[in-house]
Amino acid sequence: MKTLIENLLTGLILTLIFSFTSMSQGNIDRMKRPVPGPAPKIKLPEIQKAVLSNGLNVWLVEKHELPTVAFNLVIQAGADHDPKGQPGMASMTADLLDEGTKSRSTLEISDEIESIGASFGVYSNFDGSYMTLNVLKKYMERGLNVFSDVLSNPVFPVKEFERLKVQRLAALLQQRDQPVAIANNAFSYILYGTDHPYGNNPAGNEASLKALSRDDIQMFYQSCYRPNNATLIVVGDIKLGEVTAILDRTLSGWKKGDVAPFTVPDPKSCDKMRVYLIDKPGAPQSEIRIGYPALSRSTPDYFPVQVMNRMLGGQFTSRINLNLREKHGFTYGARSGFSFQKGAGPFTASSGVTTEKSDSSLREFLYEINLMREKGMTAEELEFVKKGLLGNFALTFETPAQIAGALQSIILYGLPENYFNNYLQNIDAVTLKDVDRVSKKYLDTSKMAVVIVGDLSKIKEPIASMKVGDVTVCDTDGKPLK
Amino acid sequence: MRQSITLIILVIAMCVKTEAQVKIPFEKYSLANGLTVLLHEDHSAPLAAVLIQYHVGSKNEKPGRTGFAHLFEHMMFQGSAHVGNHEHFKLLQEVGANVNGFTNEDGTTYFEVLPSNYVELGLYLESDRMGFLLDSMSQGKLDNQRDVVKNERRQNYDNRPYGTADEKIAKAIYPADHPYSWPVIGYMDDLSAASLDDVTGFFKTYYAPSNACLVVAGDLNPGEVKKMIQKYFSDFPRGASFDRPKTVPVSLSEEKRMVFEDKVQLPRLYLTWHSAPNYTREDAALEVLARILSSGKNSRLYKSMVYENQIAQSVSASQGGSEIAGTFQIQITAKPGKNLTQMEVAADSLIAILLGRGITDKEIENALASIESQIVNSASTSLGKGIGLASYYSYTGDPDNINKQMDRYKGMTPGEVQAAASKYLKNPRAVLSIVPVGKTELAAKKGE
Repeated sequence: MKTLIENLLTGLILTLIFSFTSMSQGNIDRMKRPVPGPAPKIKLPEIQKAVLSNGLNVWLVEKHELPTVAFNLVIQAGADHDPKGQPGMASMTADLLDEGTKSRSTLEISDEIESIGASFGVYSNFDGSYMTLNVLKKYMERGLNVFSDVLSNPVFPVKEFERLKVQRLAALLQQRDQPVAIANNAFSYILYGTDHPYGNNPAGNEASLKALSRDDIQMFYQSCYRPNNATLIVVGDIKLGEVTAILDRTLSGWKKGDVAPFTVPDPKSCDKMRVYLIDKPGAPQSEIRIGYPALSRSTPDYFPVQVMNRMLGGQFTSRINLNLREKHGFTYGARSGFSFQKGAGPFTASSGVTTEKSDSSLREFLYEINLMREKGMTAEELEFVKKGLLGNFALTFETPAQIAGALQSIILYGLPENYFNNYLQNIDAVTLKDVDRVSKKYLDTSKMAVVIVGDLSKIKEPIASMKVGDVTVCDTDGKPLK
Repeated sequence: MRQSITLIILVIAMCVKTEAQVKIPFEKYSLANGLTVLLHEDHSAPLAAVLIQYHVGSKNEKPGRTGFAHLFEHMMFQGSAHVGNHEHFKLLQEVGANVNGFTNEDGTTYFEVLPSNYVELGLYLESDRMGFLLDSMSQGKLDNQRDVVKNERRQNYDNRPYGTADEKIAKAIYPADHPYSWPVIGYMDDLSAASLDDVTGFFKTYYAPSNACLVVAGDLNPGEVKKMIQKYFSDFPRGASFDRPKTVPVSLSEEKRMVFEDKVQLPRLYLTWHSAPNYTREDAALEVLARILSSGKNSRLYKSMVYENQIAQSVSASQGGSEIAGTFQIQITAKPGKNLTQMEVAADSLIAILLGRGITDKEIENALASIESQIVNSASTSLGKGIGLASYYSYTGDPDNINKQMDRYKGMTPGEVQAAASKYLKNPRAVLSIVPVGKTELAAKKGE
């Protein structure tokens, strides 16, 4: 039993410590930045693999925080496989796939998914087509039954095909309302032309959709949606054996087939800078795009280019954003980026800027791109960017969706399976010399096209008088008027 | 600040419901100056979210200064006494953090998601702008961010098809002195009028520790984090109390019909009713109703108008509950060649059928299944959990409501959903037709 004195003493000491701490608080030196603790250990996703009896590769990462399972079937054929003159085929195939099977109508498919609160969808982009299911674990088997049926037994009902076509045509019409969509579509067309898949709207166009037949869709499905042309990614609260046991049964009817080898064609290149203007009368902002067909994901310069672009226009504190937004207030945001795809995707610098500052904005964009090309970056900037990329890596594998996305990039682009093990080293190895070299090589504005969608009665003269290149006025598809 | 305001509101809406099996444990305490602190430990990823939610939004603005809460949010990124201009972003992006802030009618939230060894940096930066923002404020900074916000308005509202529909409806449905009658982004003239004095006054009134909730969620050591919070935040004085806008009954005495010509290809109809505020049982019932109307191919409006009759390109129904009021809205975009009168007639007859013949058990089950999934998935990030905890604290007074989200839906019956629908959807409403320029004949006409 403690004496009264002891109790008093304890109280006193506590009070002293307390007042001492609160005194020191008033004196903290706020000019001193906090010192970080030791870097946390980053747990990379552990990929478990299996092959189903039909030959489908399954990659699984266990993640047990939430009672959910995410599935992402990656088909190695997207809009890049659209035949010449038939853009929209991959995308319409994906749309039509879940509109009916041998045993389920489109409403039944939808109802089964709704009744388990799952999200389920089929979509495509240039690099691939994807079937995704995100489901609570307790409903997983029910979800997989529908997933597998849609994948193995689609019947592409004529009635639904016609309905979706009408819907898609109206959606294309709606894109004409959107300055952002107009700028993106015209920019792609101007850089690549309709002979290259990247030059077309992956959703198709009026003529291609009208000509598209149900047989075309069926053919695309038959030739591309094959287990030997796909990989299934699974992330969530589940063991590999549980998934494969179900899928071996539900996907037994989905068979291998001949898949023709495929490479994305090389794009044409520009010989000099040209300016393309598209009229949007009364628009309060101009949408600017500057760029050229640049690099595929397989480029050996991937890491130096990522480092360089992060400083140029790849984050909030990039040179481009600090200039156009924070220094000049021309825009809500400005950026640049390399779209690394299976083929050579575009380099794009882009922003929506206030109409009156369209020419000034173009000038600042070109200034920043040229400056990076001519002078590269400083040692401090390189340090800043590399540190940021290294730190950001700790935020990369938090959610099932992020993990599935990381696996998807390995699968789509054939990256080494230890890609993420070596990621930090690869970033760290980038030198100032590398940055100089890739800036010179990949930021040549004399080979870039400029596309601006805005009120031409206000912006045409100021832009033309900059004399950065021949000016062509185009329609909303990017085709020269007259 | 870099994301659209509406998007962020959606994110919040998604974060504010959870499920019994996904428990989000937390510790709650207050500093002597009234700052509420919530800590949530989760070591599954080597990161932590640091966020502060100030209980002030556009509903605290005065007419003539609309958009100010959001403009002020931008000013919070422009440095403070010990943090230079642009340095806030630089210090965070240098360590790879994700940084942003967002404003809605009721609150303003700032966050950074950091590698977990940099939690102290996040706390330091949040504390510096809470304590010392005004020391570095300048006319130049205000003018620059005013231009940025005006461009945000141009980009996300004025230069976007249908972009100003929401503000037209809010203006029509609420009385002029109701704080939900103006848009969060604000009107251009009011943005022009904002002054440095406004910045000072707003900061002193609303940015005190006693009006804030600080959350640290993720890979953290609670003992260490508490010491850091004491070190950086305990010096600031508690703020004076102020009057919060209260819930007052709002209703329309008669239907308001509006037609607006916009640069769009397809006409769109908006039907909007006054409904229940957020976090109420009625809000839950109306959330279920919204799904029954437009979520999935078998939903009432979608199945009839988009799938079977194909007169509409798209439909959506939504319950938008905020702190002191709510609205229920149906949006229908017509197919080419169709007019909005057809849309209104079709929607009204489907609503009448729903009110008359009732709702099935299966419809309720499907809606609850998707709500359950959404609640579970909203707990997939530390940031999402942090925003949910802060929002439940700010708007319901008890962050533990994040763990009772499914309770609000428990025992929901067709009768209850039908009762909520009857109570609100039979009242006068606002009817906005947005039509292509020069095509006013496509607008919805009453009684045809």
